[in-house]
Amino acid sequence: MAELQAFIPGLYARSEELVQATRDLDRGRTSAEAVEEQVERDQAELVAAQQGAGFDLLADGKLRWQDHFRPLLEAADGLETGALTRFLDTNTFYRAPKATTETPSLGAPIDQRYVPSLAGPRLVTLPSPFALAHGTAVTPKAMALGVLKPQLDALDAELVVLAEPFFAHDDEADLGDLADALEALAGGPKLAVWFTFGDARKVLEGGAADLPVEGIGVDFYATRPTDVPEGFSKLLLAGVVDARSSLLEEPRELAEFAQRLGERAERIALVPNGDLQYVSERVAREKLTRLGQARTASVEAAA
Amino acid sequence: MSDHKFLTHEIGSLAKPPWLTKSALGRELDESDIEHARTWGEKVGVEGHEELVESLQRGDADLEEIARWSSRYCIRLQESAGLEVIWDGEQLRSEMYAWAIEHATGFESRGTVRSFDNKYYNKSAAVGPVGLREPYHNDEFSFLQSVAQAKLKIPVTGAYTLAVWSYDEHHTPKEGRLGGGYGRPQEIEARRELTLDIARNLIRPNLEALIGLGAEWIQIDEPGASTEADELDIFVESFNVSVEGLDCMFSTHLCFSDYDLFFPAIEGMSGCRQYCVGFANYDRRELGTTAADRPGYEVISKFRDLPYDPILGLGVLDIHTDFIEPPELVRDRILYAVDVFGDPARIHVCPDCGLRTRSWDVAYEKLRSLVEGTRLAEEALSQAHASA
Repeated sequence: MAELQAFIPGLYARSEELVQATRDLDRGRTSAEAVEEQVERDQAELVAAQQGAGFDLLADGKLRWQDHFRPLLEAADGLETGALTRFLDTNTFYRAPKATTETPSLGAPIDQRYVPSLAGPRLVTLPSPFALAHGTAVTPKAMALGVLKPQLDALDAELVVLAEPFFAHDDEADLGDLADALEALAGGPKLAVWFTFGDARKVLEGGAADLPVEGIGVDFYATRPTDVPEGFSKLLLAGVVDARSSLLEEPRELAEFAQRLGERAERIALVPNGDLQYVSERVAREKLTRLGQARTASVEAAA
Repeated sequence: MSDHKFLTHEIGSLAKPPWLTKSALGRELDESDIEHARTWGEKVGVEGHEELVESLQRGDADLEEIARWSSRYCIRLQESAGLEVIWDGEQLRSEMYAWAIEHATGFESRGTVRSFDNKYYNKSAAVGPVGLREPYHNDEFSFLQSVAQAKLKIPVTGAYTLAVWSYDEHHTPKEGRLGGGYGRPQEIEARRELTLDIARNLIRPNLEALIGLGAEWIQIDEPGASTEADELDIFVESFNVSVEGLDCMFSTHLCFSDYDLFFPAIEGMSGCRQYCVGFANYDRRELGTTAADRPGYEVISKFRDLPYDPILGLGVLDIHTDFIEPPELVRDRILYAVDVFGDPARIHVCPDCGLRTRSWDVAYEKLRSLVEGTRLAEEALSQAHASA
C-alpha cells in the first residue's frame, strides 16, 4: 500500500459570516477590523477542521486572497490587475494578470496576512509560473525568477503547491517551458504542481514525472488512473474531491480509488481537484470531512 | 447616414439603495439613509418622494412598498439620465439567478459562492424535474407599466445561464464519476437535459405570460452563455425553444466572455433580433476610432456578418470600475462600431452589463455620459455626412 496523506491546497470557501462581513465592508456598514476578526475566526475553524480530519499538512485557505493572483500582482513591479475574466467554466471571475514589462519583479514578498503561519506543518498555495504568465507576454521562467522565487525564498513551509489551472486546457502549452520555470524555483521549499480542473493525460504522457518538483497534482474527475505511469515516484496529489460539484463524495469510494492508485504511485496525497471556493463553505466543510474519512479508511485498511 | 439617432438603453441591474437593503435586513436607518432618499428623489424627479421620506423617518414603511419606491427611483434615474428604453434595475427581484430559482420547483439552495472579490451569489442545485411555481415577472411588469414614461425592456434570465450557474444533482450520477469514468459527453448530455427542461418549463411560460400583458421587448440574459465552449449549441437550442413562435422582440445579453467562441454557433439563433454585448471592459480608455484604438471591439465584425442582420447592443461603459467614461470616449466607441457595421441603424448603445456593483452616483454619471457621448456620435456622423 502506498504512503497516504491528505490536505487541501488552494482557495477555500468563505463562511456565510465572512461573506456577510465582506459585503458589509463594501457597503460601508462595517470596519476592516471587524472583517479581519471574522477572517481570523474562519481561519481558526478551518485549521481545527483540518486537524480534526487528520490532515497531514495544514492550509490557511487563502481567505484574504481576492483571487488566485491579486496579492502578487499588487506587490510586483511590472504587473497589474487586468480585465475581469471568467475562471475556466465556473461563474467565478478573477482579475487577469497584466504585465507592463517583460521582467516583472516582486518588490517585497507578500506579507503574513496572505501566507500566515499556522499551528502545525503547513502548505502554502501560490500560482504556478505558467498560470501567472498566462495571457501576458511574460515567459513562465521570467515570472518564476522575478516574482515567485523571491516569494519562495521568504517562505517557511513543508510544501508549496503551485496551482496550475490553465496548462491542461492549452494545446500550445509546452512542458519544457514549465520545466525551465520550475527549475528556476529550485533550492527553496519542496514544490508540487497541481494541475487543477482538467485532463492531465497529456501532461503525464509528456513527462510530468520528470518535472523538477516533489509532487504532481491530477484531477481524477477528468483523468483516468491508468494515465498515471506505473512506478510513479513523485508525490501524487490525487484530486478525488470534486470542487465544482455539490454532490458529496462517499469516503468508501475515495478510499477504494486511493487503493487503485496505490498500484501505480508510491506516495499519494488525497486532495480536491481544485480550489474548494467553488462550493459554499457548508459544502466545502462536508467535503473536507469526507476527505479525512477516506484517508482514515485507507490507512486503516492498509494496517 | 445623416441625422441618425441611436437608441440608448439600459441592460439590467442597478444597486439597491441603503434604505431598501437596510429595511430588508431589519436594520435601523440613519439620517444619511433618509437624506439619500430625499436628495435622489429631488435629483431625478420622483413624484411624491416626500411620502417615502416621511415614512422612512417614522419607521413604519412596509418593505414591499419601500421596494416599489426603489423601483420608481431607478426608473426616474434612468429616464433622467436620458435613456430611451429602461427597466427598474431589478429592484423588485432578489437577484437575476436567485429570483428565478426561488420561483421554480426542482431546485435546492447549496449556499453562497463567490462570484469575484467580495461579490457572491447563492448557488442552488437541480434536484428534480424543473417546474414553474407562478410567472415571476408579471407583477413587476404591471407595476412598471404604470410608472415608466420611457419604453420598457424586460430582462429575463435565460435557461442556459440558470443551468450552468446551478449544480446538477438530478442528472449527474452520485457515484462512478471518479477516475474519468463519467466523461465529457455524459456531462454535456446532462446539461442539455437540464437546460431544455428549464427552457420549456420555466422560461417559456414566463415569456408567454409577459407577452399576454403587453410586453414588446424581452431581453434574455445569458451572461453564462459561453461558459463551456462545447455547449454553445445547447445555449442556442435553449434560446430557440424558449422563444420560437412567440410574437415579441427578443434580444440576448452576453457579457465577460471570449466572444469569438459564439461563432458560428449563434448563426442558428435567428430569433434573436439584438445582441447586447459588453466590450468596454476589454477596451482602452484613450480616444480614437481606429481598430488599434479600440481593441475591446475587435470582435464586432463577426456580429455584423451574421446571416440574419441582428442589431448590436454596443456596450460602452465598463461596469466594474468607477471610472466615468468621458462622452468623447463613448462617441469614439460608437463611431468605430458604425465604421465596422456600415449601417448605424444596426447599433444601439448601452452599458456593458448591469450597474448594480456601482453606487447610484457613479451609475448616474456613467449613464449621463453614455447619453451625451451618443449625441456627440450623432453629431459627428451628421457633420461627416454634410461635408461628404
